[in-house]
Amino acid sequence: MHKMKRLCRQWDIFGVGSAVALLFVLAPLATIALYLFSPPSDAWAHVREHLLRRSVVNTALLIFSVAALSGVIGLLGAYATSRYEFFGRKKLSWMLILPLGVPSYIVAYMYADMFSHTGSATRFLRRFGIEHSLEVMSLPGATFVFVITLFPYVYLLVQSALKRQSASFLESAKLLGASPVRRFFTVVLPLLRPALVAGTLLVVLETLSDYGVVSYFNVRVLSLSIFDAWFRLGDVDAAVRISAVMLLLVFAVIFVERFLRGRRRYGFNASPRPIPRVKPSKAKRIAISLSLWLFFGIAFLVPLGQLLYYAYLSYDGALGMNTLYLVVNTLSLALASTLLTVLVALILANFARGRSGNAKRAFLKLSTLGYAVPGAVLAIAVMLVSLRLDGWLHPLYRFASSESGRLILTGSLLMLGFAFLVRFMAIAFNAIEASYDKVGDSYTEASRTLGVSKLKTLVKVDLPLIRFGLISAFIIVFIDILKELPITLILSPSNYETLASQVHRYAREEMLQESSVPSLIIIAISSVMIYFLTHMKKEGVPNVR
Amino acid sequence: MYVEVEGLSFAYTREEPVLKDVSFSMEKGEVLAVLGPSGSGKSTLLRLLSGLDMPNEGTIKVNGAVFASKNRYVPAEKRKIGMVFQDYALFPHMDLQKNIAYGLKHLRKDEREDRVEEMLSLIDMENKKRSFLHELSGGQQQRAALARALAPNPKLMLLDEPFSNLDADLKGRIRDELRSIIKKTSMTSIVVTHDIDDACAIADRIVVMEEGRVSYKAPSCGK
Repeated sequence: MHKMKRLCRQWDIFGVGSAVALLFVLAPLATIALYLFSPPSDAWAHVREHLLRRSVVNTALLIFSVAALSGVIGLLGAYATSRYEFFGRKKLSWMLILPLGVPSYIVAYMYADMFSHTGSATRFLRRFGIEHSLEVMSLPGATFVFVITLFPYVYLLVQSALKRQSASFLESAKLLGASPVRRFFTVVLPLLRPALVAGTLLVVLETLSDYGVVSYFNVRVLSLSIFDAWFRLGDVDAAVRISAVMLLLVFAVIFVERFLRGRRRYGFNASPRPIPRVKPSKAKRIAISLSLWLFFGIAFLVPLGQLLYYAYLSYDGALGMNTLYLVVNTLSLALASTLLTVLVALILANFARGRSGNAKRAFLKLSTLGYAVPGAVLAIAVMLVSLRLDGWLHPLYRFASSESGRLILTGSLLMLGFAFLVRFMAIAFNAIEASYDKVGDSYTEASRTLGVSKLKTLVKVDLPLIRFGLISAFIIVFIDILKELPITLILSPSNYETLASQVHRYAREEMLQESSVPSLIIIAISSVMIYFLTHMKKEGVPNVR
Repeated sequence: MYVEVEGLSFAYTREEPVLKDVSFSMEKGEVLAVLGPSGSGKSTLLRLLSGLDMPNEGTIKVNGAVFASKNRYVPAEKRKIGMVFQDYALFPHMDLQKNIAYGLKHLRKDEREDRVEEMLSLIDMENKKRSFLHELSGGQQQRAALARALAPNPKLMLLDEPFSNLDADLKGRIRDELRSIIKKTSMTSIVVTHDIDDACAIADRIVVMEEGRVSYKAPSCGK
């Protein structure tokens, strides 16, 4: 009885909100799981034989090479900008995040075009008598595109981990006689492992989720097969089954990482002594600076330059009412979905606060599972849920209006926003939770002991203190939604276009020049937001612990 | 004299010097406490002795070898000076025995294992050798950090505020343990602290530091 009472008291507004959020996340996934128990369609054997096997092999190859390369590049970039002093370090240290604001598929279109038979890069090389045989529209080409657009995930997380790494670990190793190389491999690197793994995992999940690049390059991976099964073959059953295979793959990756980590923990002390940057020899400084600028050029400036050139050629037709409509559409959709996502994440984070134990951990793991689910899989799952809901609610629709159609929720913006919420809530949640962790509980507790209610404390005390986390959550989710393609393509109402879907449509019809203006708008909005994110004043929250 | 420090000065760039003309010396096997309030420069003194920072002026000699002088600077990894950090800095990704073995790379595998066992028995933690940092109590972590620093048999041992992370009720016992371990190995040691009771309990001799200078050479506490 006593226990029941205590349990009831825990179910405040945050608890109930969190439970609803959990239900939202689990419903689509459960639908996929349930579908698997129904007997397979006749076409499934065919799909399995001809699509699935090759898709699995290619997907594994792709994520392995993308993970390895972006892991190494992200690590080196972060290490160089955090530990060495060289020309342009300050600028580079935030500009290397900019590629994150460029959708992978746009970079794919540009590079494929530049290295095509008549492309600008091919012609440029030809002038020097060089005939290249690079086939960008291939698995290695896709790997290249994913690495240069996704490495900032690793870069960002490793950079922040390096900031938190206390100098005393390194100094200890030094005093115990370890050489610089040994220090790097036995102390620096293992301590960075959680950040490195988390960053690489994000890269892998984004790569798995991509549809734009692999469909343009026609690289036969799982997400492409889901689309093909759904749209070309019209075989929902096969699409769901491929989705399930993909989910298994994702969970296997996550599980293996957890297992390998074992008993180790990588906690750092709360107030680390920063490690001073070293100024290497002049030759080394120049080498570091040049290679990072070169990489930034390839990842950001080159595709941007090509886009600007195309925009210059095509801006007459592109700057009109249609573009304005796209911008308004995209921004309002992204704004509404992002606000909803951040709000739900805030409710979850408040629920998570001050609670510990396995039940809470499991609860949070489950409700942030959406991010691990590839976009196409999630879109299909949400589609199935909304079809079922429409079926249940149909009598209600009829009651409200006798002419009501069968499908109200399916194909509505509401379901699109809902899918975004499920997919991106984990990102918002992590940013907000990290902020809460930093601030600690004492301010909130002080407010509560002064007789202020939970909700009022949230508004008056918590929100101002965690505003940095809230703003970062907002920006990251907003950019993600802006770039998002597979969910948008599957769940948008018919005739509803966003900047991303329009870019994709133009590219599919080989109208790359026309795609440049909407592409540039996406990049411009993301870049401004990234600038803001990296230059925001982070002070004002004293470290309590 | 085993340790000789002459006219040591140090400033972080363009700031008020943190150490001004510090001189002292030590006998072999002596335990010296450097006592002073925070900001007095005592931690900086340890960083100069260990080689983590380079002095602007002055000489450091240990056992006849010059570590720092006008035209000579031996880097930290070559000095064979042990240090127990204020936050212990035990590597969180290695278990206890790997932490202790970290500075023993120059030994053969069997010698290394013997030395680790020896250290574990010295700190009376043989049963914890596979434990990770987060599985040890504060006092155990401190002994572990001491064992790791002692393992390579350093010429000099430096301890930076070794009791600041411990609960008050534990402190008395751990102080005695620490002193007995240091004395057992007859290790020449410098302990930096802001607490006069700690200084008296652990040291043979005390020097007081204030505003970057050795202001008063105190006798021992009359034990």
